[in-house]
Amino acid sequence: MSVFQHDYRPYDGPTTALWKRPLVLARYGLAEAWGSKITVGLAVLGLLPCVVDLVLMYLADNPVAKMLVVGGSKVLEINEKFFFGVLETQCWFALVLAAWIAPRLVSFDLGDNALPILLSHPLSRFGYVLGKFIALVVSLSYVTWIPVLILFLYQCYASPVPWAAGHLGLAVGMFLGAVVWIVMLSLIGLAVSSWVKWRVIATGAMFAVIFVPAGVGGIANAILRTKWGFLLNVPVVMSELWQRLLGAPDIFNGRLELPNMAIAGVLIAASLACVAVLNARIRAREVVRG
Amino acid sequence: MGVIALDRLEVRLGGRTVLNGLTGELRGHAVGLLGPNGAGKSTLINTLLGFHEPSGGNAKVLGLDARTDRMRIRQSVGYMPENDSFIGNMSGVRFVRYMAELSGLPPAAALERAHEALFYVGLGEVRYRKISTYSLGMKQLIKLAQALAHGPKLLILDEPTNGLDPTARQRMVQLIKEIRKEGSMHMLISSHLLRDIDETCDEVLILNKGRIAAISNIEEERRSHRNFIEMEMTGNTEAFAEKMQAKGCECARFAGGRVKVVMPDALGQRDLYVIAAETGAEIRRIQTRRDSLEDIFLRAMEYEGGRIDHVSLPA
Amino acid sequence: MNAAVDTIRFENVSKFYGEVLGVNRITVTLSPGITTLVGPNGSGKTTLMNLMTGLVQPSRGKISVLGLEPSNATEFFCNVGYCAQFDSFPRGLTGFQFVLDSLMLFGMSEEDAHGLAAEALERVQLDAAAAHRNIAGYSKGMRQKIRLAQAIAHHPRVLVLDEPLNGLDPMARAESLALFQELGRQGMHVVISSHILDEVDRVSDRVVLITGGYLIAQGNIHEVRQEVRDKPMQLLIRCDKPDLLASKMFAVNHCVEARLHADGRGIFLRTGDVDQFYRVLNEIAIEGVVKIEAVAPFDDNANAIYQYLIGSDGSTT
Repeated sequence: MSVFQHDYRPYDGPTTALWKRPLVLARYGLAEAWGSKITVGLAVLGLLPCVVDLVLMYLADNPVAKMLVVGGSKVLEINEKFFFGVLETQCWFALVLAAWIAPRLVSFDLGDNALPILLSHPLSRFGYVLGKFIALVVSLSYVTWIPVLILFLYQCYASPVPWAAGHLGLAVGMFLGAVVWIVMLSLIGLAVSSWVKWRVIATGAMFAVIFVPAGVGGIANAILRTKWGFLLNVPVVMSELWQRLLGAPDIFNGRLELPNMAIAGVLIAASLACVAVLNARIRAREVVRG
Repeated sequence: MGVIALDRLEVRLGGRTVLNGLTGELRGHAVGLLGPNGAGKSTLINTLLGFHEPSGGNAKVLGLDARTDRMRIRQSVGYMPENDSFIGNMSGVRFVRYMAELSGLPPAAALERAHEALFYVGLGEVRYRKISTYSLGMKQLIKLAQALAHGPKLLILDEPTNGLDPTARQRMVQLIKEIRKEGSMHMLISSHLLRDIDETCDEVLILNKGRIAAISNIEEERRSHRNFIEMEMTGNTEAFAEKMQAKGCECARFAGGRVKVVMPDALGQRDLYVIAAETGAEIRRIQTRRDSLEDIFLRAMEYEGGRIDHVSLPA
Repeated sequence: MNAAVDTIRFENVSKFYGEVLGVNRITVTLSPGITTLVGPNGSGKTTLMNLMTGLVQPSRGKISVLGLEPSNATEFFCNVGYCAQFDSFPRGLTGFQFVLDSLMLFGMSEEDAHGLAAEALERVQLDAAAAHRNIAGYSKGMRQKIRLAQAIAHHPRVLVLDEPLNGLDPMARAESLALFQELGRQGMHVVISSHILDEVDRVSDRVVLITGGYLIAQGNIHEVRQEVRDKPMQLLIRCDKPDLLASKMFAVNHCVEARLHADGRGIFLRTGDVDQFYRVLNEIAIEGVVKIEAVAPFDDNANAIYQYLIGSDGSTT
């Protein structure tokens, strides 16, 4: 018979490596993001177009079925244009998902001033942002390049003619295109969420940040009679980028000649702006002036 | 080696020099951090945690350099901030676990220690509720629990009794005393309530206008000066005072039967009782006046220019 | 009924927020001087203060502050100043502007308001340079001072302060307490709510203990203590042979309970008859067998009353 004391005892055990700490953040961030039923719902919705695409691909590759349904027309063909459409759809879904998830990752921390306690642990500001970034990128991957590449693999398998070898560039292009977009979205998402206090407004602000500059660019185009305003138009810029990466036919039919450097420049500028916002907002202490 | 060593530490914020050349070493087991508002206490704590970069000089925490070893310092430090700081959407356990894992504990150990810490601070079933539903006292305790969970070597508590009602405050002070007695952690406690610091700390660092006004070891102060006596008496206090003065003691009378006496070493408390009986007075209350923290603090505030000194008692 | 004009009176006042209890059947009369409200968080102190300042209406019962009823708004609010616990201010104002605007609400001229604002800021010891800076940049202590200045600026006769020392450093606390004592001496009703019971001891003329929405005790601290009869007076005696002292006290029948101090050099004694107790203690001290170093009442203060009457009712978990 004994009486047991439960006093405080110090910790002697092993500790994980410092570089792994942002991964802890990512893990908890993912749990936080996917804990909501809306997130799961949005993700399922986001995969529906892929199901439709799968059906279309089945029809296109299966001559018998194709005869039955479409009747021999050349409308349905699986080529760069088709995959461009697939990628575009998925990426715009990713925007919706990001607009919902990013605030969930950041606003909970900022809302109750958790940063001083968070940063008092062995975690730098960069590590904090990195952890959230990884969580967001992983989440968005589920609805972008992962399903798209699976469709590509299906096409390779189902195509009646040897298809894969000639179209590997397509796969690489899609992967890169999706990754660039996810990275941009994540940066913008984190920056906007850290700037705005309430989650709902942060979601709205995400959409605003993507679409409002498009309007401004359009106005600039009209007034200045130039095409450079299109650089502010995110949908246009991304479409151009994806086209070039995929080798898809130009949907603007040569009306729009945005040089590669310009596109790269816009994307880099936007990223830097986001990093600047994050640098300003993710702080353990506000410096009060005056 | 001191727990905290400051070497001409200078910190500038927003164009102002907030900490101006702090030099000193703190060795105590529990160090109190005192000073008027705006003296730089929060800035000092933030600098030790690595939130601010020193613009000049240096600071060492547990022997680690605050400029270059920030991550290692944060590994060994537990911080309980003054303001509300939590993630409202999480339950208490999850929050403490999260913080423990960020300090490097493997997930299984983190869960165990989270529950240990919550048990130690006294949060029961409440730990499974979301923190946004907690009362003020519980929020203070959850901050303390997350600071303890990973077994730090230095605990930094910023106003730990802020806003707590008397019962909760007593429990918090008791908890701090227990932690101090347990011995594996040093503590740095910042507070405006001198009584709390007096009860829990053995050394104080007093800041004023960005400089050190005093570093004082309370334990030593307490042990000295046994010859100042304060009493509350009834009866013929006048005759008592006269007789005391005749014996060569300084004796002063105040309203409400209060009498203050400075006795030479030759006399003891018993002699006071004897003299009281002789002169028809009765002693109701008697205590040795020790230099209370309040006096140390007020004296430190009168120092201009912040020379670090051990505050000496009046002759 | 002239006395009514000088008191704050609650008669059987209850306040419910829907189903939630604020305070229940409170009857108390407060005279001029400093009254401290003591009780756990959520016990009804803030409700009581809101009722006193007319910010909420009672569900039942009657309140009269200096003979005025809250329904008589203009006169009522001229005489009452309230310094709330919560830390929010209109955006974009400097400290001086905030106090000035509050004063102008009373309908006085801008000149008068300027003068009173400056006076109030001086009384709370907030220096002029800081007063003309934006409140957003203030430290916690400065915000507290501005709230206080706003409450006293219009020279009210009743001053209600909800935890006014929260966030103030030791010197500012001492200054504020001195200010309150000064105001109390001038005949104002100063009602303070506080958790720091040794400060309560130092400045209060009377205490009001409240818990769970019920009034538990009110009056002068020492009187309240004496009325708690089931706990006899406790003293702490520091001496070199505490056990010997205890047996001597038990021998003369003046001791009801004895408990050794943890460090072994002191003893807590409870006695039913304080006067006899002291006489015997003095004799023992003269005898010299036990060397007495210090004698002090241990529980004749707000902290002890709180422990006895409220205890762990308001515990956090």
